Amino acid sequence: MTSFAGYVFLNTAFVLLISPLFISLIKKAKAWTQGRNGPPLLQTYFMLAKLMKKEVVYSSTSSVIMRISPYLNLTFLLAASVFVPLLFIPEPAAGIGNVFFFLYLLVGAKFFMALAGLDAGSTFGGMGSSREMTVSAVIEPVVIIVFATLAFVFKTMNLHEMFAQSLGASLPLNPAVLLISISLFIILIVETSRIPVDNPETHLELTMIHEAMDLESSGPNLAMMELSHAIKQTLLMGLLINVLMPWGLALEAGPVGIGVAAIMFILKGSILAVVVGFIESSLAKMRLFRLPALFMQAFFFAFVTILFEVLGRL
Amino acid sequence: MIFVPYDLIRVLFVLVLCTAALMITQRSLSSLFSIYAAQSLLLAFIALALLWKTGIENLAFMAGLTILSKVIVIPYVLNKIQKDIYTKRDLEFSYLSPVSSILISAALVFVVYKSFSTFLVDLSRDKVFFLGAVMGVSLVLIGMLIIFSRKQMITKIVGYLTMENGVLLFSMFIAELPFIIEVLIILDLIILTLISAILAFGLDSSMKEFHRKLNPFTFWFKK
Repeated sequence: MTSFAGYVFLNTAFVLLISPLFISLIKKAKAWTQGRNGPPLLQTYFMLAKLMKKEVVYSSTSSVIMRISPYLNLTFLLAASVFVPLLFIPEPAAGIGNVFFFLYLLVGAKFFMALAGLDAGSTFGGMGSSREMTVSAVIEPVVIIVFATLAFVFKTMNLHEMFAQSLGASLPLNPAVLLISISLFIILIVETSRIPVDNPETHLELTMIHEAMDLESSGPNLAMMELSHAIKQTLLMGLLINVLMPWGLALEAGPVGIGVAAIMFILKGSILAVVVGFIESSLAKMRLFRLPALFMQAFFFAFVTILFEVLGRL
Repeated sequence: MIFVPYDLIRVLFVLVLCTAALMITQRSLSSLFSIYAAQSLLLAFIALALLWKTGIENLAFMAGLTILSKVIVIPYVLNKIQKDIYTKRDLEFSYLSPVSSILISAALVFVVYKSFSTFLVDLSRDKVFFLGAVMGVSLVLIGMLIIFSRKQMITKIVGYLTMENGVLLFSMFIAELPFIIEVLIILDLIILTLISAILAFGLDSSMKEFHRKLNPFTFWFKK
């Protein structure tokens, strides 16, 4: 049991430590494509540190929801981070790693974020929450299908076992895994409010979804919201990386294995972040009503994956 | 990394499917042509991989011909037409929205798979041949869906070309068309692209305007 506690500590610390880095990297990649230099790589850390020192201001209409939701949000995502091993795969523990539990944790965080957006009583927040819930009502069935496909492909409901299997697979280019990765990538884009869906950098009323919900948060609360967003992104990236190219992930705890896994993950994550940044710069934001077409692509690939799998071992 | 060629072929199938799904929703015409070119290139790769596995020499010619005609010539002509008709995007969809098109195409793949699995599994040598047949016929149907759901002539042409790609895929894995027929089909395709190029933008104009609009194309007939 102590080894599992060690895993939880290490994994969570690692996730907390590197999440802001990927956010900066995506910004950096976007800046490069625009011919700018971009913010320094540690900028997101500085920003979080600055916010932590500031005072919290609450709107006079806000209730207890506004006060607890940043903590709940962060807690949900840190709990979810135990489900995605980034350094080494621990001994199986009861219930840890279940795909649907993982999804519920993500949705729980989203739910409290939307509530906080409504709670402050500003029209922007309410609008953001309403949009976020609309989008997630459309994407959620697709996410469930994709994760069900993942469970179907690996014949297990446990994320840890999936990663262990994909690590042990002799052939890295399994077509089913390739197909499901496309779906997972689309989910990564949608869930982290990246460009075809939402613009993470704008504060314009017309285009924002995710940012609108955070508008009323301030100080450490805002820092926690931002951090939880970064963690969510790292988790989804970790999921994609562990399914598609798990090389380097250690099967047992050990200083060398963990060191190699950490370096490999930072490397692979950085590549993925830069790819996301480039894709974000090459696309325009979609109209809200065109979004289902994007989600349906994810659904299409998930469906075809199941077909490929039914056809026989691919 | 050691490749089993059949797995390589399967990965290529996956990529072909991706291009088909992109074609259904893509609105920018020039990207549509690039996707078509990429799809044809993938087919050429599939032919080469199959050649490596089975050693049928026709496939090499087929791959070469595909690259020459469908990756280079046809997209080039299409791009030229697109510049001449001053249209960058095809935004209109008839009967079906892109979302329902994708759903229907997923259903189509399923139906094809289901109906083929009743008799083709025993006939074919390996499962990859069966899969190739399913992909080919699905691609034909998806091409039909593109013709059906798009409004502009030029996207309908791309839909037709996709259908032909599906036939090519099917013939590679199941029917083994004689090489001469392949050549004829490709010749047909090039002629079709040229003729429909003239018709595509003539349809919405009067005869007088048509003549004026036709003038830029005279460079094909001079010399």
